[in-house]
Amino acid sequence: MSKISAPRSNREFIEACVKAGDAVRIKQEVDWENEAGAIVRRACELGAAAPFMEKIKDYPGFSYFGAPLSTYRRMAISLGMDPASSLPEIGKEYLKRTNSEPIAPVVVDRKDAPCKENILLGKDVDLCRLPVPLVHDGDGGRYVGTWHAVVTKHPVRGDVNWGMYRQMMFDSRTMSGAVFPFSDLGKTLSDYYLPRGESCPFATAIGLSPLAAMAACAPSPIPEPELVGMLSGEPARLVKCETNDLEVPADAEIIIEGEICPDYKVEEGPFGEYTGYRTSPRDFRVTFRVNCITYRNNATMTISNMGVPQDEGQLLRSFSLGLELEKLLRSQGIPVTGVYMHPRSTHHMMIVGVKPTYSGIAQQIAQLAFGSKLGPWFHMVMVVDDQTDIYNWDEVYHAFCTRCHPENGIHIYRNTTGTPLYPFATPHERKYSIGSKVLFDCLWPVDWDKTNDVPTLVSFKHVYPKDIQERVLANWTAYGYPQAK
Amino acid sequence: MNQWEVFVMDMAELAEGKDLELSIRTLNPGVHKYTYKHVKCQVSSNPEKLPDRLQVRMGRGQLSPARFSIKVIEEIQRMPAKYA
Ligand SMILES: Cc1cc2nc3c(=O)[nH]c(=O)nc-3n(C[C@H](O)[C@H](O)[C@H](O)COP(=O)(O)O)c2cc1C
Repeated sequence: MSKISAPRSNREFIEACVKAGDAVRIKQEVDWENEAGAIVRRACELGAAAPFMEKIKDYPGFSYFGAPLSTYRRMAISLGMDPASSLPEIGKEYLKRTNSEPIAPVVVDRKDAPCKENILLGKDVDLCRLPVPLVHDGDGGRYVGTWHAVVTKHPVRGDVNWGMYRQMMFDSRTMSGAVFPFSDLGKTLSDYYLPRGESCPFATAIGLSPLAAMAACAPSPIPEPELVGMLSGEPARLVKCETNDLEVPADAEIIIEGEICPDYKVEEGPFGEYTGYRTSPRDFRVTFRVNCITYRNNATMTISNMGVPQDEGQLLRSFSLGLELEKLLRSQGIPVTGVYMHPRSTHHMMIVGVKPTYSGIAQQIAQLAFGSKLGPWFHMVMVVDDQTDIYNWDEVYHAFCTRCHPENGIHIYRNTTGTPLYPFATPHERKYSIGSKVLFDCLWPVDWDKTNDVPTLVSFKHVYPKDIQERVLANWTAYGYPQAK
Repeated sequence: MNQWEVFVMDMAELAEGKDLELSIRTLNPGVHKYTYKHVKCQVSSNPEKLPDRLQVRMGRGQLSPARFSIKVIEEIQRMPAKYA
């Protein structure tokens, strides 16, 4: 692999973003109660630079970094690419790196781990010593984990999992979080810890390198510490926790260690979500008891503020869900030309381009997509042919409105896995994570006669001979038009 | 006087004249603002009647215009002692 020079920590990332004009340093004091959240939200809605808030009310010495990956420019910077890289270029690079050889992490001595600069144990443990923000007015609590990784390990299989599962501060030593039963951690809990009534050690790492955060929310089957190595081209640096055997990113800004209680639950939510609504009901959810907090000097807390497009919940998840589905479909030999989720679909619609070489190919794609580990996170699959540019919503929308047969092209799948976050779901469906899905098959049927039955696309690109197209393009300004983009 | 907030799905959860068990969060200024306690308490729709103030949010975070007062009788520890 060629040398990658991606930011190795949140600090290096902030620096790279400031240098590229993709982060602003905010020197004036910002309130942790709503104000910081409102700044991040507005930055997301404007597609503006990420706010680096250097002075926080009540919390001298701490800072916030908001909306870390809510633009493709910052995603390119996080990968060590030119910020102006196009989305297909970024996608290609992600696929190249995540298809490479896994790179194992290294464990460093605690003296080389900046996250150990301050250690709170025993009576000193108090989450309120961290600048935990009230992200949206009306949220059920202040959220400790909005852009982070919850580190756990399966005690028998030994699989390490870093997952981004939101965590609300309930009191000074307790957090509750939305760990869905179909997630890796949800499965470890129901497979091992809950039936035995044993508590599950965890560590929450906040202020990660951007690629560690990307790995924590990527739906990849590769263990996250290896995935970070593959994405960054070098081993992730880990360090052992103070109070359990887990290993955490040594350069993280803040580490919260503790145990997940199998026999005790407190309320979580409501919370502003990636769908652009506060949907999932307040409920008794997975409960985390905190035993130790460690943090760097001048620690920076990272904040993702989910709401209407576009934030990293939509941008990054659309990106990685799409690319992981592309890998899955290719592994099954399906002739896909690409897979893309437009972030403003709030990663609800998977658009798949395919060479329609056999009957039922759209159904095969939908069944694989919905039946995979990725499936609970979206409920629409739209399959278009290889002539349609999946990144161009105008083309996709045209194909959908003209080629999807209302009776034969729409297929509904009932009683699938859902999440409590779907705004359209009934209250009962939300409570029990019951889903339903739909396929929009926008392919011309294979049994139509290609010459006489399949309509011809009437567009400049498709109906005119090449020489005429070239002549018209060459003369465009001579006809009196401004140069088209 | 303390200020508290509670989330309910239905105002009927705030029945008056009897002991209730609620998770309430403090709105007192300071770094512990918005942390919860689980308490035995009484509430009143008369905002002046009981010693502390209580405001109410509905299931999706909407602030109710109704103002209540609350008397916290005792904190209830639901958490098993082993996690203390
Ligand atoms: C900002 C953000 C917040 C997220 N919050 C949650 C959450 O609260 N619960 C959850 O199950 N997944 C959440 N996700 C999605 C997971 O991070 C994602 O599914 C990841 O792959 C971990 O899932 P896994 O355990 O199935 O691998 C979030 C993603 C992002 C980007």
